[in-house]
Amino acid sequence: MKLRLLIADDHEVVRRGLCQLLQGHDGWEICGEATDGREAVEKAAQLKPDVVILDVGMPNLNGLAATRQLTQRDPRCKVIVLTITDSDQVIREALDAGARGFVLKSDAARDLVSAVEALQRNRMFFTPRVNDMVLAGFLDKGHSGSSTEPPRLPKLTAREREVIQLLAEGKSSKEVACVLNLSTKTAETHRSNIMRKLGFHSIRDLVVYAVKNNIIQVQAPVQLHNSTEGSAA
Amino acid sequence: MTIRILVVDDHPVVRHGLRTLLGGHPEWEIIDEAEDGLDAVAKAGRLNPDVVVLDITMPKMSGLEACRLIRKAMPKCEVLMVTQHDSPQMMREALEAGARGYVVKSNAARDLLRAVERVSQHLPFTALNGQSVDTDVGR
Repeated sequence: MKLRLLIADDHEVVRRGLCQLLQGHDGWEICGEATDGREAVEKAAQLKPDVVILDVGMPNLNGLAATRQLTQRDPRCKVIVLTITDSDQVIREALDAGARGFVLKSDAARDLVSAVEALQRNRMFFTPRVNDMVLAGFLDKGHSGSSTEPPRLPKLTAREREVIQLLAEGKSSKEVACVLNLSTKTAETHRSNIMRKLGFHSIRDLVVYAVKNNIIQVQAPVQLHNSTEGSAA
Repeated sequence: MTIRILVVDDHPVVRHGLRTLLGGHPEWEIIDEAEDGLDAVAKAGRLNPDVVVLDITMPKMSGLEACRLIRKAMPKCEVLMVTQHDSPQMMREALEAGARGYVVKSNAARDLLRAVERVSQHLPFTALNGQSVDTDVGR
């Protein structure tokens, strides 16, 4: 029986590249594609893939939140997270969400096939940096006295994280309610709970929090060569 | 007549995707790939492509700088920017650097083929999110 893969990335050109990379492998098939985390969760429920490959930076529901939902619904669900950065925080969140594979997008052509093969054999696949971090965390646990852990962030529910992403993407409470199939009142309650837990007073604070915590991702700035403000090209 | 295309992006998986999207056209040939701006300039000089499909944010040399150098050395070679930057300012910068076309990556599947068709005929194509315009802006 073929290994069934579900691929989620908001850029079709990346999905085409991933499909091309994986389709050629004997015994694997792409059973579905999704353009954001929410669609990935829905399609995973319908299609029951063996492995889900999720981009981290997707609109509506990011890859980390989608991973969390997938693994909460089915702890055996095998997720590979694709990311542009292997920052400590993204690694920590991906592991915490239950991802079993972690691949940098820049290395996907080299590592993704190996990652799927590892998960197929019920193993995990991480970049060397993730492995180092996991090992360091394991070793740290042996030193109960020396606590160098960063201060813990207030505990947010999965739903609150979803609401943060949608608000930070510029949606109103009414639009959040519509996307999440909630009443506007419930969406507003989530919003005020989030603001209270995080001690925020404005949406600007929330957007900064969402960017800093990789709930949404922003484009890397490019040095513009020669600003020509006001001049017609 | 065959259109010879050089594909430039620092992510191999994106290059695979661009190849797949462009590969369906019988008269287009992907002659090579490059992974940064420097590589793009060197390969364009050596292979003399008709169209360079060029990312902007890349290591070593950005797509904007590579575009300037390619256009200066080979004025007949057309450059199509394919970028994540959905920004009028960046589009203007690209056109000023000599690009003939500008496509946002998230819309590449919709716009790429039309854009390559246009720029290969030395006609402009610019498209930000939600709008694609065959226009004479920039030249």
